[in-house]
Amino acid sequence: MTSIRRFCCNDLLRFASVNLDHLTETFNMSFYMTYLARWPDYFHVAEAPGNRIMGYIMGKVEGQGESWHGHVTAVTVAPEFRRQQLAKKLMNILEDISDKIDKAYFVDLFVRASNTPAIKMYEKLGYVVYRRVLRYYSGEEDGLDMRKALSRDVEKKSVIPLKRPVTPDELEYD
Amino acid sequence: MASKFGFAGGIPERRVRPIWDAVDSRQFKNALKLSTALLSKYPNSPYALALKALILERMGKNEEALSVCLNAKEILCNNDSNVFVDDLTLSTLQIVFQRLDHLEMATSCYEYACTKYPNNLELMMGLFSCYVREYSFVKQQQIAIKMYKIAGEERFLLWAVCSIQLQVCCGNGAEKLFQLAEGLLKKHIASHGLHEPEALSVYISLLEQQCKYGDALEILSGKLGALMMIEVDKLRLQGRLLARAGDYVAAADVFQKLLELCPDDWECFLQYLGCLLEDESILIKDTDPFDSRMSQAVDFVRKLMVEANNNSVRCPYLAHLEIERRKLLFGKGDADKVVEDLMQYFIRVSFLKNLVKECEGSVSGPTKELGQSITVFKIQNSIGELFSLPVNDLEDIAVQMTEMFCKNLSLSKELDAQESMHGEELLSLACTVLVQLFWRTRDLGYLLESIMVLEFGLAIRRYVWQYKILLVHLYSYWSSLPLAYERYKSLDVKNILLETVSAHILPQMLASPLWADLSDLLREYLKFMDDHFRESADLTFLAYRHRNYSKVIEFVQFKERLQHSSQYLMVKIEAPILQLKQNSNNIDEVECILESLRCGTHSLELSNEIRGKSLTFNEDLKLRPWWTPTFDKNYLLGPFEGVSSCPRENTHNQIKQTEENVLKTVEKRSLLPRMIYLSIYSASESVKENLEANGAVVDSKISLELKTLLERYTKILDFPFQDAVELVFGFSSGQKPFEAPSPDMIDWMNFAVFLNAWNLNSHEVKFSDRDPSSTSTWNLVNTMLRKYVMETIRCTGPVVSSPGSHLPFLVQLVTEPLAWHAVIIHSCMRSLHPSGKKKKKGGSVDQSNTQLLHEIQNSIQSLCDTTEMVMKWLREQLDTPDDEKFEAIFSSILRNGRNDGPGKVFKILESSSSLIKDVEVGPRILEAVKSWSPAGDVRKIIAGQRSLLSEFLKICELKLKSLQAVRVQL
Repeated sequence: MTSIRRFCCNDLLRFASVNLDHLTETFNMSFYMTYLARWPDYFHVAEAPGNRIMGYIMGKVEGQGESWHGHVTAVTVAPEFRRQQLAKKLMNILEDISDKIDKAYFVDLFVRASNTPAIKMYEKLGYVVYRRVLRYYSGEEDGLDMRKALSRDVEKKSVIPLKRPVTPDELEYD
Repeated sequence: MASKFGFAGGIPERRVRPIWDAVDSRQFKNALKLSTALLSKYPNSPYALALKALILERMGKNEEALSVCLNAKEILCNNDSNVFVDDLTLSTLQIVFQRLDHLEMATSCYEYACTKYPNNLELMMGLFSCYVREYSFVKQQQIAIKMYKIAGEERFLLWAVCSIQLQVCCGNGAEKLFQLAEGLLKKHIASHGLHEPEALSVYISLLEQQCKYGDALEILSGKLGALMMIEVDKLRLQGRLLARAGDYVAAADVFQKLLELCPDDWECFLQYLGCLLEDESILIKDTDPFDSRMSQAVDFVRKLMVEANNNSVRCPYLAHLEIERRKLLFGKGDADKVVEDLMQYFIRVSFLKNLVKECEGSVSGPTKELGQSITVFKIQNSIGELFSLPVNDLEDIAVQMTEMFCKNLSLSKELDAQESMHGEELLSLACTVLVQLFWRTRDLGYLLESIMVLEFGLAIRRYVWQYKILLVHLYSYWSSLPLAYERYKSLDVKNILLETVSAHILPQMLASPLWADLSDLLREYLKFMDDHFRESADLTFLAYRHRNYSKVIEFVQFKERLQHSSQYLMVKIEAPILQLKQNSNNIDEVECILESLRCGTHSLELSNEIRGKSLTFNEDLKLRPWWTPTFDKNYLLGPFEGVSSCPRENTHNQIKQTEENVLKTVEKRSLLPRMIYLSIYSASESVKENLEANGAVVDSKISLELKTLLERYTKILDFPFQDAVELVFGFSSGQKPFEAPSPDMIDWMNFAVFLNAWNLNSHEVKFSDRDPSSTSTWNLVNTMLRKYVMETIRCTGPVVSSPGSHLPFLVQLVTEPLAWHAVIIHSCMRSLHPSGKKKKKGGSVDQSNTQLLHEIQNSIQSLCDTTEMVMKWLREQLDTPDDEKFEAIFSSILRNGRNDGPGKVFKILESSSSLIKDVEVGPRILEAVKSWSPAGDVRKIIAGQRSLLSEFLKICELKLKSLQAVRVQL
């Protein structure tokens, strides 16, 4: 039972039960607020009855030409609300906005190469590993750049996997 | 920052680039060198100066930076036509001024530039951003309108409209300003239309704020409505506007449509039902429409169920239940039907869980069963059933929960250490049941078991924050605060969580001797909040620039919400009090700190500012354990109250009560620094008065002000001043009985201390008609302190076996009133011996001070005795060997042939750690379970208590030493 709506500042005061989970990072305020100020349509929250926060997604749209794309910066669901396909719902919203409103070519995201459960989930949602980014996480662990093509990329060019891995400084965006 | 080609701030770009590169790579020394070289070539360039100032500021040389900035400003504003002024120069200066807390200077630079170069949009935007940073909404509006007039752009108009909205919502603008904003928008739309979705939502919100719902709806359904591209957002807005306009029928229709699109949206269903019943059925008097509308809802929900082909949709099923519940509330329902629906719902939900598992390919009967059992336990818990069970049954339930967790460990065999385990909630539930058993029986064993289940769980998976929060509270309660703090730190509370989560530890730390840790906590929290206030306006301007106007209002309101945070205010007042406590043995230090607090008026101003305003409470109370619903309430400190303490209304009332108390506490505490300051002054004046010839003018202002503050203080304690004086004398003479140690005690003790300081000068409290034993206010303080300390020690059993002990009160008595009184004595002594040196041999003190000296001598002796009494008690606690303490605690869970009482849960944990096999749970869990050490848990509790007591003892020792040093001077 989920009401999904735009994330707002007051939600920052209520998301502790989601963020205390050790895999969910609590960023500084300017990080959240920059996303809210620039891409409010890419920041959504899911609420359960009793207005409890179940999870949220934050992202942005960026790039030039054919690399104009939606990006998932963080998606997280509190442990007690897992296994209800909530992450999928949230991802679908972001994909929809990237596709229909911003007419982006694809959506991408980064995931730790060791995070098998997450990678499996993204694959189920139609994402493919586009390339490996060497030592992306704190200069240690590799990251996987996963992508899903949107309707504007008719030939699905954006998701043809790169043959070689790249280093973080080769990335076009942060 | 510098533009890529040509000139930057009037200087060739190639000369500036290396400086920026050096700054970006944090080579400030090099940057400074380069910038000095640049300045020698362009000595009068404001841009070159701004760069230098920026570098100096980054190097921490704030004063130099400011002086360079001011130099640049002077050149800029000096009307010399040769001086180059551009936005790059001004914005660079702005950055430095802002970091130096001189926003107003940046603003005046921009203001000057805008007058000099009228109609320059870039400069005007810079000026607008200055006003945003200063929260000058009116000026924001004026400059935005100017820009709109010059450029005719929609965004500038919306900047103006937002500025107007801010004047009304966050400033002191009248609501009629909305009409002005609406008029501006209307005129623009008529000639240019509207092009941004966010502009439309601002327009609609403007109409909504004026209750013009009809107009708003018309616009939404008109051509402009197309701007809102997300269909469900539009429907939600429409539904809300219709409901507000009172058109419930149409609103219900809209929500119905919305539900068809989002059948799992519970919030939306409630709104739908609310509209059908015309807001909580208040308006429906006769039953006809009720029946027909309810059956309309039933039909619709049935339709939703059929259409929802997605099996994970649960809302319509719960909706059925809600409809039956409402019927029951209306007096038209059938309780059996509700129960039946409830059953159906749970059958359905567990069916879903099963289905999901099947989809995931890990069909597991046990996982499903486990999930169901947990659900049943949770329901029992949330409806308060667990509070009404007899002790034995309750114990069985705790045993069942623990057993179930251990038996099902094998289900998590394949899981990664970071993933949540199956049945994790069972241990939290078992813990809360065990705590209740402790509350009822006061048997220490249950408390220990409640800790052990959680430590056992953490040994297996160390990331479970729910366990950690429970442990923070349990360890705090058992006087093992250092251990509680360790658990708290492992939660990695940072950034905004500092505002919502730190109340789990902060109140205990404030009343503790762990000053270094407390100081870290306060500093980190204040840094977070102040950093946010510093950057918040920049982010607001970012929202303006990116045309997300709705966020502009939201950001400003959010900043205000945090600024009015009760916790923020409390910390701002407590941080200096902590500093005073830490330095209370050195009067010069105390004076220095007070100096930096504007002689103590700083805290007073803080609390004056909030008088009459409402504070915000941002702690996430849902994370707190049942026995402490708010930071100032702990059921475990009182006797068992049964199920009556559990209902939600109680919690709700408790929260309201706490919110009221906080206001009082904040005001009370805010008076302290100023009262200390005035007391020091009053004490030294009283000595001088005596030293000088009789009739010397005493600063009566000090006396008057101190009295006013004392009156304010007693008023907060709900007593008129005179009655308060009577009361404290009553306490000290034994005519008024002492109550059990409580926070009030600290307040009264503080009052007595400052009353004495005031009386040194005013001599208003007379004693002739009083009990001969309490002949002076000096004596009053001595006696009260001694009695309070004795009484508190008497009520405080051995720390190890007395959870919820009065230790925090003892700490506060010594570190606050006793310490303040000692400071007052120091002040008297310093005035008696201005050089600070010991009295010369054979030298005699002025005759008129003999009486005072005598009082001081007595008081010092009394403080020493009282402190020694505390130290003796502390040493007794510390001298008890740890093994003895260990025995005392650990034996509480050893059953030794007993059949009842605690120990059963422990036995399960213990046996599972010896019986568990590798093949069942895998090597990781096996190793973790084996690593769990119950004896280690107990020893950690004892070590935590020991370190808390030692810390307190150290404080007492230093206090005693400093008092003895004063005594030598006499």
